[in-house]
Amino acid sequence: MGVVELKSVTKNYQGNRGITDVTFTINEGEVFGFIGPNGAGKSTTIRTLLNFIHPTSGSATIFGKDIVKESKEIKKLVGYLPSEVHYYDDMKAIDLLKYSAGLHNYHNDKRIHELANKLQLDLNKKIEDLSFGNRKKVGIIQALLHEPKLLILDEPTGGLDPLMQNIFFDLLKEENKKGVTIFFSSHILSEVQKLCDRVAIIKEGELIKVEKVETLTQNNIKKVSLLLTKEANLGLNMEGILSKEKNGDDYQLLFNGEISSLLTMLAPLEVKDILIEEPTLDEIFMHYYK
Amino acid sequence: MIFKRELKKNSKSLIIWLIILSALTILLLSVYPQFAQDREAVEQLLSAYPETFMEALGMDRLDIGSVIGFYGLQVYLYITLFGGIYVAMLASNIVAKEENEKTIEFLLSKPVTRSQIIGGKLLAVITNIMIFNLILGVVSIIGFQFTDEAIPWSTFSVLIFGAILLHVSFAAISFLLSAAMRKTRTITSLSLGIVLFSYFINVISAIAEDLSSLKYLSFYYYIDAAAIIDEGAIPIIYIVIMLCVTAGCIGLSYVTYNKKNIAV
Repeated sequence: MGVVELKSVTKNYQGNRGITDVTFTINEGEVFGFIGPNGAGKSTTIRTLLNFIHPTSGSATIFGKDIVKESKEIKKLVGYLPSEVHYYDDMKAIDLLKYSAGLHNYHNDKRIHELANKLQLDLNKKIEDLSFGNRKKVGIIQALLHEPKLLILDEPTGGLDPLMQNIFFDLLKEENKKGVTIFFSSHILSEVQKLCDRVAIIKEGELIKVEKVETLTQNNIKKVSLLLTKEANLGLNMEGILSKEKNGDDYQLLFNGEISSLLTMLAPLEVKDILIEEPTLDEIFMHYYK
Repeated sequence: MIFKRELKKNSKSLIIWLIILSALTILLLSVYPQFAQDREAVEQLLSAYPETFMEALGMDRLDIGSVIGFYGLQVYLYITLFGGIYVAMLASNIVAKEENEKTIEFLLSKPVTRSQIIGGKLLAVITNIMIFNLILGVVSIIGFQFTDEAIPWSTFSVLIFGAILLHVSFAAISFLLSAAMRKTRTITSLSLGIVLFSYFINVISAIAEDLSSLKYLSFYYYIDAAAIIDEGAIPIIYIVIMLCVTAGCIGLSYVTYNKKNIAV
């Protein structure tokens, strides 16, 4: 049995992009990525799982408990970090964390200070005086504090500097080693690749596929922008070219394969300028996961 | 947890309201002995006022020459009117504020049910109303010490009971709006509107004979000081109406909040 199981979950609601017929399972101890462009339905899925919003149809369980009927029981076992953290302005960081611990009936205050030390957070500042990144740290601590068995993280790295991201990822790996399952939503492919075992890809409210991260990394897709000196008839029929677009002397290719064979192909051409880069998620989705 | 948190969060505004209204109560009641002494002069002065003015304030029916009549005209008016405003502001904010400031995402991710959230907040509102009326009741009793006149205690307790009933009813309506809607500013305006409109209707219906049947729309009419001092009681039917409105609003608050999609 999976830790999280969604069966044909659909949610339509006014003003927001819903999700349609989403089905997937997260196994115990897994770090499961959830990736898609902004507005694809990631947050809607998470909010449905946490019963902030009610599913229109379909059902889902977390630890075998129904997300609507047994939401309270589920939340004892879950730590949630929203993409934007908003807390009570009148509280200091320590007050908020103690309030959170109290709601969980969790009494190990030592853990607050341990986590704050690791993340270098001053607990005695008022939350409204904290910077965006520091507020996020408060969010991370309240999600981890009560030692949950499942972490649901919605775009957790926003606002954290790269150094802090590494510390945060180490924290997550540590928790994962203890057996904590992690559901990690993001629109940044590279951070999902760093951390996750499997990823679900969502676009426009529909689940496109669930794939092992290794498979994604094997698809070593590059975006190649070329500027040629003169009308060269670019054959470009070699294997691995997923798409090509021509705009005057400008060419844009999506290439999936050996970089060296790409270079061999390009060598005889009169190339004025070249840019080889990571494609954006949208581009991958558009050309690859149709 | 939620109850404790709300009590603490709202304590500051409760204290400020109580300080101002207590001071006002003491001030007004301290004036009474002089007022009673120069009774004839005062009555003469009052007779110069237009009749409608007297009717609007219920002065035609209240004997302001007795301490309880004076209390009913002056202090009770402030306690019920400002108290209504206070509870409307308190109750209209208490649920929707979490959504407005997006803190509800935090609260809902914790192991609490929505009914527990509503319950904790409702209890906090009711506790605040009780403290509000208890303190002002005690302050009034202190204020009565300025005069040697005997106080009709049973009438006084009915007045306090009426004020509590009124506050709880307005709070329940505002609380329902707070649970069902999202924008605190709209909810607060609406709640204050209901309180002031209700007060206004009571005044209008007292002045204009044609509109006198409108008075049944106003909670202020139900707990009218002049009637309570005359009868020594609030008609059962009014109590039942207010309790039904309260129970209905509270019930609906639970139902709508449990069904609500909360996406911030």
